[in-house]
Amino acid sequence: MKAVISGIGAISAAGLNLQENLFSMKNGKRNAGPVSLFSTDLTYPVFEVKNFSEKTEMEGMRTFCLAVAAAKEALKDADLLPPLSGFKAGVCLGTTVASQLNDIDFYSAFRKYGKADLKPVERFLLGNLSKALAYLLKANGPSVTVVNACSSGTDAIGIGLSWLRTGICDMVIAGGADELNRVPLCGFGSLGILSKLLCAPFDKDRTGLNLGEGAGILILESEESYIKRGGKPLLYLSGYGTAADSYHLTAPHPEGKGLESAIKSALSDSCVSPMDICFVNAHGTGTNENDKVESTVLSRIFGENIRYFSTKGYTGHTLGGAGGIEAVFTAASLKYGWIPASAGFLSKGDEIPLSPVLLNTSINGSFALSTSLAFGGNNAAIVIEKV
Amino acid sequence: MFISGIGIIFTRGRGIDCFENALTQGWIDPSWTDSFPAYRVTKETLSDTNLSKKIRRADKFSKMAALSAFDAYKDSGMTLNNNDEKLGIILSTAFGPHTTTFSFIDDILDYGDANVSPTKFSNSVHNAAASYISTMLDSRGPTITLADFSYPFQNALLLADSWLKEKRCNHVLCGCVDELSTVMEYACKIKLKAAEDGKIRPFMFSDFPVSVLGEGSVFFMLSEKRCKNNYAEVAEISFSWELKKNPDIIIIDADGMAGDETGYKNYSNKGLPITGYSPVFGSMMIGSAFNFAAACLIFKNQLVYRCPVSDNSSSVNSYFLTKEANVNEINCIRICGSEKISIINIKK
Repeated sequence: MKAVISGIGAISAAGLNLQENLFSMKNGKRNAGPVSLFSTDLTYPVFEVKNFSEKTEMEGMRTFCLAVAAAKEALKDADLLPPLSGFKAGVCLGTTVASQLNDIDFYSAFRKYGKADLKPVERFLLGNLSKALAYLLKANGPSVTVVNACSSGTDAIGIGLSWLRTGICDMVIAGGADELNRVPLCGFGSLGILSKLLCAPFDKDRTGLNLGEGAGILILESEESYIKRGGKPLLYLSGYGTAADSYHLTAPHPEGKGLESAIKSALSDSCVSPMDICFVNAHGTGTNENDKVESTVLSRIFGENIRYFSTKGYTGHTLGGAGGIEAVFTAASLKYGWIPASAGFLSKGDEIPLSPVLLNTSINGSFALSTSLAFGGNNAAIVIEKV
Repeated sequence: MFISGIGIIFTRGRGIDCFENALTQGWIDPSWTDSFPAYRVTKETLSDTNLSKKIRRADKFSKMAALSAFDAYKDSGMTLNNNDEKLGIILSTAFGPHTTTFSFIDDILDYGDANVSPTKFSNSVHNAAASYISTMLDSRGPTITLADFSYPFQNALLLADSWLKEKRCNHVLCGCVDELSTVMEYACKIKLKAAEDGKIRPFMFSDFPVSVLGEGSVFFMLSEKRCKNNYAEVAEISFSWELKKNPDIIIIDADGMAGDETGYKNYSNKGLPITGYSPVFGSMMIGSAFNFAAACLIFKNQLVYRCPVSDNSSSVNSYFLTKEANVNEINCIRICGSEKISIINIKK
């Protein structure tokens, strides 16, 4: 069984809504700059969402606010208005930052004085991403937050599909969100994989990734439920695959075994062959290892003619938000019939078997794949279909 | 969905036999720090010469998860193929490895943003524990980590059931883990009411119940088909107030951790036997998983363990002596504040 994608919404440094994101990508705009959201000694460029103001009552819950912005857009696109209490509606979102109590000021005070204002703790307890969104939308089905590092968003979408297939829900708000935060910035810096330059996924001179922030949300519905409320399906989530590398905490399997399994599982789950896929929206972070492994696996499965790209050159790596944002971009590309140039790519080295697309390219196909590779050796892939 | 293996780590040690002994033994005094009681897992509990190489860099959170997951796998008696793609792993937690997160922030504060430890950062990520499990078992199947404050175990079970029904997996190692930290203890001191005598009282049914914090991990090997080693069958995981027929026993997750517990009184009024084992392992958002393990042992041994604390001011129909019984159906109930409630219906 496949699920109808009845609505999509995205917010990132490339734009405050999907159309702004698509405009930036079409015009090659890369809105990166120094960190302005917090003070840090680190000088890596980042992709911040600009001109986005958190509502006062949600102060300190930026990830949640990003998720709300994307969810509102997706709901509008799906012709839905909260409350969703009339549906068996679930919420499944991925994140990294919103799942951690990493408030440095709070912890610093606690360390110094042995006590601290508990407001950040209360915010953290209220801010479980899926629970908070479910509460806001009055979605009465299951709500759970996926914390699978960089594949969280894709995995959350996959879980949403499982809930629909097993009848737990007839509608799922799925995707991912993450804010730019000092703790992961320091963490990724310590791993030596942040680039001082704008990221260049799959390029021979790539020097690492840029962190970003944002959210991407899909409204998934059972076909029966969607048609019942008068919809005519255009996009479907056809399948999902996930697999572990079982190899290393921070490095991908050198042969990409887990990624290959995840992609094959997603294709099989969708009842399609590699030949049916018209493009791949790759994870493409711009790190040496990720891009080498991913390009190799894509070439092995799809052959040399597959068109693929990374959108991280426009959004930065939005961690738990990436899978959601990239699923939205994949769906939009199918819908509008074009894919963006893989920003930052100029030429490939010997270790990258395939070049990503260099220019905005028209496409005319029915199926597309979006991949995510994560810290911890998680790999996930989804197949999206346009009828 | 059938339960074929259990692995557990809690304050009194490691392994399902250890848990069984604790249920038989009943309540014991927690450890006290500055007049604050807690059921802590000791370092000795986590030492394992056979597995230490594969988890040598893991923090306490990941070690608790990895060892209990491994024990659940061993207990099931299964032998996995190398690179098994049909074994799923689902790890659920409320707070994640926050001790390591704070230790990483210590580095930021002490040494600056550019001089922090990559190992600490790696271990502070929520899905590090699941990654250790998949590497330790050489499993290439779906591996997911969930974070939830309300129903972490129930949501994990729900997903495991979906994966098995979809044939995405043949078996799923599904479990929960949470740890204590000084920050958490501080927050709980202020927000919760610690039991002054170290006793959680599941039958208080109070709107401000007492708690004794705990930590630990418990994993279950779940399979779509009945396996050789079988504890019980999960018939349904629902979010509703309605009991499934009249179960032989109701196990409640009352432990003082989730706020108002007056809702449990509705079930005591029905006159059905009620029990709850939180005084054995402590107050945790993931406490449901431990009570679920107790339910599995009740089925397997056809023995109902006495409620660990004998306070029965609400005159509940409970068990205050461990005794043999013919148990065919148990409902495990969790009420989380004013939210919906969950019922796990388990059958012999």
